[in-house]
Amino acid sequence: MKNGSSIFCTLLSFLLLVSYPTFSQEETKISPYIQLQYFKNTDESRFLKTTLTYSLNRMEIPVPGMEISFFSEAAGKELIGTVFTDDKGVASLELTKNIRPPINEEGLWEFSTEFKGNDTIQAGNSELSIKDVKLEMSLQEVDSIKTITLKAVTMGNSSEIPVSEEVVMIYVPRMFSLLPVGEATLDESGTASLEFPSDLPGDSEGNLTIISRFEEHPDFGNIEKKIEIKWGVPSVNQAPVAHRALWTKTAPMWMIITLSVLLAGVWGHYLFAIISLILIKRDSKKQAKLKS
Amino acid sequence: MQADKKLLKDLTPEIESTSTTWYITFSVFLGFFLLGIYGLIQQIDKGHIVTGMRDNVVWGFYIVNFIFFMGLSYSGALISGVLHLFHTGWRKPVIRLAELITVISLIIGPFFIFFCIGRLDRLYFLFIHPRIQSPITWDVIAILTDLFGCFIYLYLSFVEDFAILRDYDGLHVPPWKRKFYKILSLGYDGSPRQKKLLSNARTIMSVMIIAIAIIVYSVLAWIFGVTLQPGWHSTIFGPYFVIAAVFSGTGLLIILMWIFRRIYHLEEYITKRHFVNVGVLLTVIAAFYGYFTFSDYLTKWYGSIKMDSILIDKLFNEYYLLFIFANYIGILLPAIIIAFPKFRTIPNITVAAAIAVLALWVNRYIIVIPTLETPFLPVQDTRADWIKYSPTWIEWSLTLAGVSVFVMLFMLISKIAPIVSISEMQQQDSEEILK
Repeated sequence: MKNGSSIFCTLLSFLLLVSYPTFSQEETKISPYIQLQYFKNTDESRFLKTTLTYSLNRMEIPVPGMEISFFSEAAGKELIGTVFTDDKGVASLELTKNIRPPINEEGLWEFSTEFKGNDTIQAGNSELSIKDVKLEMSLQEVDSIKTITLKAVTMGNSSEIPVSEEVVMIYVPRMFSLLPVGEATLDESGTASLEFPSDLPGDSEGNLTIISRFEEHPDFGNIEKKIEIKWGVPSVNQAPVAHRALWTKTAPMWMIITLSVLLAGVWGHYLFAIISLILIKRDSKKQAKLKS
Repeated sequence: MQADKKLLKDLTPEIESTSTTWYITFSVFLGFFLLGIYGLIQQIDKGHIVTGMRDNVVWGFYIVNFIFFMGLSYSGALISGVLHLFHTGWRKPVIRLAELITVISLIIGPFFIFFCIGRLDRLYFLFIHPRIQSPITWDVIAILTDLFGCFIYLYLSFVEDFAILRDYDGLHVPPWKRKFYKILSLGYDGSPRQKKLLSNARTIMSVMIIAIAIIVYSVLAWIFGVTLQPGWHSTIFGPYFVIAAVFSGTGLLIILMWIFRRIYHLEEYITKRHFVNVGVLLTVIAAFYGYFTFSDYLTKWYGSIKMDSILIDKLFNEYYLLFIFANYIGILLPAIIIAFPKFRTIPNITVAAAIAVLALWVNRYIIVIPTLETPFLPVQDTRADWIKYSPTWIEWSLTLAGVSVFVMLFMLISKIAPIVSISEMQQQDSEEILK
């Protein structure tokens, strides 16, 4: 009987354990997200950047170590370089002066990027048409007003063509991200100016970095100009007002009192137990002396 | 100090001689321990990259083991404290085991924290730059206080036994062991004054360790509860952890009763009555534990906070098997086995206890890991292997080493002091006198 019920319990445990319904699922290839972007920096250097990712549990997971090919398409498909994605899933190709991609009839560069895929990830590609834009930014103080002047032109056959009715964003980098401080719409001559706020904190000397950008523009891509200038209010790091809180150096009083009372109470009782042991030892010595 | 000769004859052989089986068993566990040491050396040499912990899941097996062992410790303290304080008649043969569970688990538990810390060389910062506001500081203070208190409590319970062994002429042990008993018995001879002093100290310490066990394990629960993480931010985490700890500790007590009863032939002392009594205790606690578990998940599910819903969805899909085992089988099966008199045999109760202990460990796993796999915001540069935690052999080996040290310390202590307290056994409770 005893053995019978033991076996019953063991079997019941096992059956419950294996009762989980298992589903077989065909392994499917990961469908990646491939994005091609164009960047032009302050120093006029130009990059093509491909990001290869896939989505898992709401998170965008990069795919590192994959070969990405970059092509120029304006005069037939021509390979301009291959780069492997890094840990962030990004493959970046600099368009050096040696690389002279042709333009199409509309004066645009046509780029494409391609990932051939492998056993686990599907192939993917992305395309991009870019017009080369030159963005200029100058900073001046006119009648004590800090003014940013912007100028953007595209390169025509022989002359510069102003970029009009386009928005340029102005940012100042802060600790965690870029702070938008304004946006300027370019006029017919391709210029715009706007007033820069005079109350922005800078570093201890008042230095600020001002960034102007075309962002994710469908024709121009990402173009950036960056200038450092002493237009900020010098920051003075003041220590926070000393008060007791969870985030200050000194703990709230109630917390210190509670902990102290608890610890004193507990360790007081420990002391009592230790003293009892000492008294037992003394008593035994006394008894031994009496006996001898 | 004299004791019943039959008691001495029955309970001291394991102290006098050591069997080949003992040596073989000890060697096996020593082997596991050494494997753990090898794993630890690998971890120290190569860094935490050899573990399954990454930017998302920064707590893995080590923290699970830490919570598990600390829970066993506090439950041992609670059980032994309550049994002693209320002079429960049947406690005598099992109270020593509960006391030993307390101290041994408390020694092992914190080591898992050391394994988990990336910069051990900065550990002393906790002491030189403590912030009272931090639950981690509370935990450090609490564990140290508890460790000290449990050592005193254990020692108080050993004094009488050491005195009995010191004065037992028929005990064949090496001179160092006799000297050991002589020193640690503090010259105790059972005089009325000494008895009173010892009894008062034990009573006070039993009250203290009950209180400390509850507070300290609650502090550990608050480390989770005070965060805003899904699944952790719960007001009932303190009592839930305490109940869960007692559940696992009671289960472990039954397993150890079964092992030592069998190995040291203690059938006369640890009887079916003890198994049934501790088993019933396990069932009652299982009911409370089940209630807390249901209450915790029900409020989270009903509240439908986005992250809680994602977590619960994950628990019922990815972690389905573990969740069902920890929160259904682990609670219901032991309760069913012990609730029906027909199933209440010693092996069945032990199987029920083993299921309960294992389920509790899994419960700790599904409290820690799925929450960390469900962050509010994706960590920058997240990679697939950072999201999903998977323990490596190093974490397994150190877990095995922790269990091995637990077993080895029990084996070693059983060679120094009787696993059933002689002094407790010869005390006559008023209840028994009345009988």
